[in-house]
Amino acid sequence: MRDYFAGRLRRLAPVFIEPVEGLPPADPDGVVEFSREFLRAGTPAFRILFYAMILVLQALCLVTRGKSVYSLPPDEADEFIQSLYSHRISALSTIPTVLGTPIYMSHYNRDDMQAPLGFDIAAMREEAAKRGVQR
Amino acid sequence: MIIRPEGLPGNIRREADVAIIGSGAGGGPVAKELAEAGYSVVVLEEGGHFTREDFDFSPGKAFTRLYRDASQTVTLGLPAIVVPQGKTVGGTTTINSGTCLRVPRHVLKRWHLECGLKDLTEDELNLLYGAVEEYLFVKRADPEVVGKNNLVFLDAAEKLGYSGGFLPRNAKDCEGYGVCAYGCPSGAKQSVNVSYIPDAVAAGADVYTRCRVERIVVHNGKATGVRGRFLDPATGRKTHHMEVEASVVVLAGGAVQTPSLLMHNRICLASGRVGKNLSIHPCGAAFALMDEPIGNPKGIPQSAYVDEFAAEGIMLEGVTLLPAVMAITLPWGGRRHAETMWKYPYIASFGSMISEHDSAGKVAAGPSARQPLTFYNMGRGDLERMKRSVLLMAEIWFAAGARRVYTPIEGFKELAGARDVSKLARTHLKRASVYGLSAYHPMGTCSMGADPYNSVVKSSGETWELENLFICDASILPTSLGVNPQLTIMALAMRTAGFIDDRLSEGSFEKQSAGRLERLRARLRREKESKAQRLSAEEPTSV
Repeated sequence: MRDYFAGRLRRLAPVFIEPVEGLPPADPDGVVEFSREFLRAGTPAFRILFYAMILVLQALCLVTRGKSVYSLPPDEADEFIQSLYSHRISALSTIPTVLGTPIYMSHYNRDDMQAPLGFDIAAMREEAAKRGVQR
Repeated sequence: MIIRPEGLPGNIRREADVAIIGSGAGGGPVAKELAEAGYSVVVLEEGGHFTREDFDFSPGKAFTRLYRDASQTVTLGLPAIVVPQGKTVGGTTTINSGTCLRVPRHVLKRWHLECGLKDLTEDELNLLYGAVEEYLFVKRADPEVVGKNNLVFLDAAEKLGYSGGFLPRNAKDCEGYGVCAYGCPSGAKQSVNVSYIPDAVAAGADVYTRCRVERIVVHNGKATGVRGRFLDPATGRKTHHMEVEASVVVLAGGAVQTPSLLMHNRICLASGRVGKNLSIHPCGAAFALMDEPIGNPKGIPQSAYVDEFAAEGIMLEGVTLLPAVMAITLPWGGRRHAETMWKYPYIASFGSMISEHDSAGKVAAGPSARQPLTFYNMGRGDLERMKRSVLLMAEIWFAAGARRVYTPIEGFKELAGARDVSKLARTHLKRASVYGLSAYHPMGTCSMGADPYNSVVKSSGETWELENLFICDASILPTSLGVNPQLTIMALAMRTAGFIDDRLSEGSFEKQSAGRLERLRARLRREKESKAQRLSAEEPTSV
């Protein structure tokens, strides 16, 4: 992933991930690191689509809101993202879906995120490691 | 043994009786059967080898390590559908839910009548199914560990008078960790990576991992070997060459990769059927916001079913999602996404699987053999069936006491009650209105049949065009099964192994056909007796 896209993604993470009391905040570096791995393991077509979507999202925001998506106030940024998700033109609703995939996956894949949601992953790992079913 | 590319000194050249491409539901059983019959077997697997110690409850890691293209394989057409497939030792069985269902009788009848596969008798299939089920410890999911999510849904379905129950699965002492799709961390799920492959290796088979086959070698109308390249685990770049000279080649790469390899090798194309006839099982889901915590993701994800609507082509099957997967499945983002995820412990889920009637798909050659293009357009009838399945799940969730039901349908992402349900029922859907659809079980792209002009392989699994080239994966299934296919692929693989055994022992199929079944029956009887003896010897003597 080129530095330009890594930088954009780093700034995009908090736009997609709203802070919620009781849950850890977004970790932009973690999002970039995971996305890098996710895109490397994936198809070239998805990689191209992903980068293109970052550019389209920026352009769309500039055209429709007159501001960069990164400098919109949180409420307005949220409203912009929601409007894309439920856009009746599927090419537009695909933008946040594609971008959100690695962003949300890396965020909710974190152990410290899953524990407050009732999934004590460390305890489960420990339990499973001890079991080891033999054929 | 299982050989990783890291320690290899350079190019590898092997001779073997059988070269098998792929180590999943087709390749694994063939490898075991033939290795145990005394043949030298070499298996070439494109993915890496991972054990239960590597499986750590992380969908993120699993997607990048165990799934083909990090699960980004999407069909071209309307709607776009994600088709996750495994790429690891064990193939998709390593990351599936473990459901083991036999081919429905009406489907087998269709194969007999429409495809002329009369020699694929119900008796023979039952014998094979029985053997696979016993080997994989197939039994109904234990209600003690299916999880609250599935119990609540089944309960409500029963109240509405819908038939259902617990699914048979290939799991031994399963504790319901809820992570079947990311590699079973306890080894309870008897996927091919912990069953057939270790037994094949114990019988002398060699499994080369991270080896991508590019060429099937042909001489005088016969397959005589394969050539491929090893892949660097870190970068995915090609490294050493691999060449296997073999008497028989078995292609078991799955219904997307297998036709792609044939197309890139320009072989077996005369019937015009390679890559055609793709069928998949499009899947929908409905999430429900409940009043009480549902205990997610603990429990066996796919352990319950409602088959009341199976005749219409709708099967409802359980699904539970880890937070990271639920997060990418929700049809909205930002604040609303965060608020919904905060309620994760209260969100129940169930899935539906559609058996297609009027959809059409095909696999076409892409820019390279590893990047085939998958085209698929969902028909109006199937789209309606998808909507109906979502409506049924919503009805059942509301009967279970759901406050809200979340659906993947644009304009109806959140249903508040019966009024919304009936409004959705009256709505005419467009194909683009279904959000984030996924589908499983690609099948049918090298279909089996009795007519060489209309099928790619004979009922033995051997291609009509090339002697000694057998195909042994979901691509040979002539029509959509309507149920999870792994058990059928394994049973057919076992059958094909019998034919290969005949071929390698230099007999003609016609002469040995009856003998093959008799041999199989006798072998299964012997195995049963020796297992019974072993178990009785292990039992403690009563005083």
